Amino acid sequence: MELHYATFPYLTSLLLCCGVGLLIILFIPADRPKAIKVVSAIFSGLTLAISLYLYLSYDKQLGGFQFAERYEWIPSLGISFSNAADGFGMPMLLLTGIVFFTAVLTMWEMELRVKEFFALIFLLVLGVFGLFMSLDLFFIFVWFDVSLFPMYLLIAIWGSTRKEYGAMKLTLYLLAGSALILPALIYLVVSAGLGTFDLLALMQSDLFTAHQQQLAFLLLYIGFGILAGVFPFHTWSPVGHVAAPTAVSMIHAGVLMKIGAFGILRVGIFLCPEGWRYWAELMAVLATCGIVYGALVGLRQTDLKYVIGYSSVSHMGIVGLGLSTMTIDGVNGAVFQMFAHGIMTALFFSSVGWIYDKTHTKAIPELGGLSRIMPRAATFFIIAAFTGIGVPCLASFWGELVVFLSCVKVYPVRGALAVGGLVISALFMLRVVQKTCYGPPVERFAHLPDLSLALGVPRMILASVIVIFGLFPGWLFDMINTATAELLK
Amino acid sequence: MLDYFLGEFSLCAATGALLLPLVSFAVIMLVTRPFPKLSAGISIGAVAVSLGVAVALLVRNWGLETPLVYKTTWVVSGQMSIPLGILLDPVSLSMLAVVSAVSFLVQVYSLGYMAGDPGFSRYYGCMSLFAWAMLTLSISGSLLQLFIFWELVGLSSYLLIGFWFEKFSASEAGKKAFVMTRTGDVAFMLGLILLWLQLGDLDIGLLNDGAAVTARLSTGMITLTALLIFGGIVGKSAQFPLLTWLPDAMEGPTPVSALLHSATMVAAGVYLFARLFGFFALSPVLMAVCLAIGTISLLLASSMAMVARDIKQVWAYSTISQLGFMLMGLGAGSFFAGTFHLITHAGFKALLFLCAGVLIHHYDTNDMFLKTVMICMIVAAGALSGLPPLSGFFSKELILGRLLDLSNPVWFIAGALGAFLTAYYTFRLIFIILFPRKSDDHDQADHHGHHSKGGAGAMAVVLCILAAVTVALGFFEHPILEFLNGALGAGRSMPVGHHGWLPVVAGSLAVVAIGIAWLEFGRKQARQVGFVEKLPAVAALFGNRWYLDHLYRYLLDKWVYGGVSRLFAWNDRRVIDGAVDGTGQSVIGLGTLLARLHTGLIQYRLMVLFAVMALLILYFGLGG
Repeated sequence: MELHYATFPYLTSLLLCCGVGLLIILFIPADRPKAIKVVSAIFSGLTLAISLYLYLSYDKQLGGFQFAERYEWIPSLGISFSNAADGFGMPMLLLTGIVFFTAVLTMWEMELRVKEFFALIFLLVLGVFGLFMSLDLFFIFVWFDVSLFPMYLLIAIWGSTRKEYGAMKLTLYLLAGSALILPALIYLVVSAGLGTFDLLALMQSDLFTAHQQQLAFLLLYIGFGILAGVFPFHTWSPVGHVAAPTAVSMIHAGVLMKIGAFGILRVGIFLCPEGWRYWAELMAVLATCGIVYGALVGLRQTDLKYVIGYSSVSHMGIVGLGLSTMTIDGVNGAVFQMFAHGIMTALFFSSVGWIYDKTHTKAIPELGGLSRIMPRAATFFIIAAFTGIGVPCLASFWGELVVFLSCVKVYPVRGALAVGGLVISALFMLRVVQKTCYGPPVERFAHLPDLSLALGVPRMILASVIVIFGLFPGWLFDMINTATAELLK
Repeated sequence: MLDYFLGEFSLCAATGALLLPLVSFAVIMLVTRPFPKLSAGISIGAVAVSLGVAVALLVRNWGLETPLVYKTTWVVSGQMSIPLGILLDPVSLSMLAVVSAVSFLVQVYSLGYMAGDPGFSRYYGCMSLFAWAMLTLSISGSLLQLFIFWELVGLSSYLLIGFWFEKFSASEAGKKAFVMTRTGDVAFMLGLILLWLQLGDLDIGLLNDGAAVTARLSTGMITLTALLIFGGIVGKSAQFPLLTWLPDAMEGPTPVSALLHSATMVAAGVYLFARLFGFFALSPVLMAVCLAIGTISLLLASSMAMVARDIKQVWAYSTISQLGFMLMGLGAGSFFAGTFHLITHAGFKALLFLCAGVLIHHYDTNDMFLKTVMICMIVAAGALSGLPPLSGFFSKELILGRLLDLSNPVWFIAGALGAFLTAYYTFRLIFIILFPRKSDDHDQADHHGHHSKGGAGAMAVVLCILAAVTVALGFFEHPILEFLNGALGAGRSMPVGHHGWLPVVAGSLAVVAIGIAWLEFGRKQARQVGFVEKLPAVAALFGNRWYLDHLYRYLLDKWVYGGVSRLFAWNDRRVIDGAVDGTGQSVIGLGTLLARLHTGLIQYRLMVLFAVMALLILYFGLGG
């Protein structure tokens, strides 16, 4: 894969935006929450602007890794600070920018320990951005852990519903994942014998034997897969989502779960294609289980956030299914679905966040008639639900269609089962919409305010992105395709 | 390709006409929601332009021999490309005209009907979305594009059926419609994917090209994919066994029912069959299944209609039965019979529902208006029953004629029985409405706010236009059939034999059925109890929709919610999560146990020391 160096360190400046923003927040006195929020909005807006600029100026004809930059850090160990964006990383950077900015805006009304909250969010996103652009195994691992650590505090301090339990569970689970990833990375670097952590250098063919690849891939698949909500390692996800505050749920389901899938792709599949081939069947089985099982479990949940948590398990199954097909279309669809699901679930959680903030309940049986009480919030919720159902002209549809198509080709029975899961997902999404948004308004919530226009902005951004990529999916597919075509050459 | 597109007036005009309702939807939802009148104006304006263009296209391309096709790519991903295109041939041109005409008339009618409703703007927004989806579905050039808009039709009908979302029955009906049609769509999607993998292209022109398809697909594969796609038709057109969502869908506003049940939504299923007629005709198995499903639906729905006591319910059942009738015509091999009935049905069914809307609300006490409505309703009912010389008579006769040509007489007998029952239940209802005996005869399906007066004039005009079409359309049978001759796939249609006696028999069947209805419901001494209702067991069976709904409810509650879903949820909490928590607990337990060793009590230390020493001595002493 070709590396095209940048004339200006755009990617590093993306990281710097997070880092500088974090520093400034730390130096603002805690009793000036307004200033903290403004600074957060400015710097997160900057990251969105930069990632959008990069997204638009990525040369699809040229392909490969662009905006590359490389600084030697510890030459004796072969560790370098090396970043670049390709057709897989670029959509993820854009996704992170969008979700980050909208999550900050969503929390505009929060009051509890504002300074610490935004500081931790910035740290979290710093890790996420770093991981999506890094080409060095050492840094990939570092960024992975940087993005995990703030989660514990964010949930345990600002969360709700069994927050300590949820935070602890999530952290332990993800640390278990990183305990599998680290040995796999070390194993790969050592057995390559090149003395470097450079991903592209390690990608040369015949560096690893088939056996080594099988072992390393399995470790990486499970390690990253835990974060991606792969069945049966998914149970942290609903619990964590339920406990987390709104913005954290948005970033978590919208972006962090993508880190898992992205890790499987960037490290597992890039370095161990043989291992990928060997375990593909298993991946397909687990993914199909996730799709059907997640939807069926979601059918019975009575907590709004649990429902969305399980829908994430189901939708991330589609990503796994796409990756398991080992076809261009399957991988394209998987990456598209990662993007679409990220936006969709962020919209979901930001709408639910408003509902919960006002009604102080997430219990579905207690809600009702929200379309009458808070029509704007309810409309955004319904748009997200329809995206989840896979209605055409909304982004998720394309990911699902392309994945199913390639899956039926490779694994007919599993593909048919996954397509059948569409009925269940329609049933459970519509059930939630019916019980919360429709029906007569609940008496004690009738006076509650709707989203103000200003607070509608972040939701509007997310909804527009869903519609835009639903109508013009080519803008994303073209980009992903450059990377997939090269990967599967 | 672009030059060709720009050079061809029809294609440009069609594209423009299609996009207008989408623009109108976006504008209404984002900008003009607070201004109901403006929203209605935008929506009606958009669909009026669509109608104008559709009629212009029809006139301009009358006698079209080769279809006009324009294709461009929507998405390319690796090996697959998803096309976006326009296919103008006689079928799609007729459908375009019918759909835009019915949408336009219904939207004008709604001006009066929906006046004063708090969701007036939203109503017109959804109407625009619906028109866009349905129009684009009609002119889709590839099966995949058709599927995409097919799903969007499902979405917009969900929004319209559940329009009064505060009512539980309405939101439930919308959900049921969506999920049941989705069930069929899963089969459709699988069929489509299989077909795509085999052919590498889903162009409708290619699929209708029998020689090209048989050259690339085995017979088994054709049958399998055709059956799967037919699953989608069964769901969308509410055929057996997925028919129970349609009667419930009456919970929507009455104009919505008129729209969904005449030319759009449910008609989309039959339209798809006609669209792919050349492909379906390749598989005798599929044609037989289609004939059987159509027949079962026809008789089943007729039986339900005989005991229903709600105007809209009866019309809903009649929709199912007439769609079944169309599928019988198509399944029997006649492209023209099915398609022509689709066109005539669109007119009189819309009329029936729009009249019902007026009656349910006793909209206006103006006698002239009510009289007009009653006359229109009787005209439409006559067409539904197949009375000459109304439009329904001609199209039904075509279908019956085709069924008569089949070697097995069973199909003709079933078809004739269905036609007989249709005439009976239609006029049963008409007589009940004309000569009401009990005040609680028909439940009211709509309960929504107050009605402002006015709009009756526009409504009356709409009704009269539809009534005129119903009377006149039958006389244009030959030109229309000749025009349809140029359609893709029409070449595989079997000829309809001419039976001089058939019109007489069909007409008298209808007359006899109406006579029986008159004896039981119409005449002065009639007790208005039908012959079915004299047998309580049968009446209960029909009234409960053959217990199909109960069966589905049972399956859903017992097996999905109470079975698999419950088991999985339990498994997730107890087994998977239990194992995780268990691991945590056991680590804590182990830690507690080990911590006991470090209590600092000297006695414990000495005891442990002693025990270890003793064990070591034993080990070495005995081992050595």
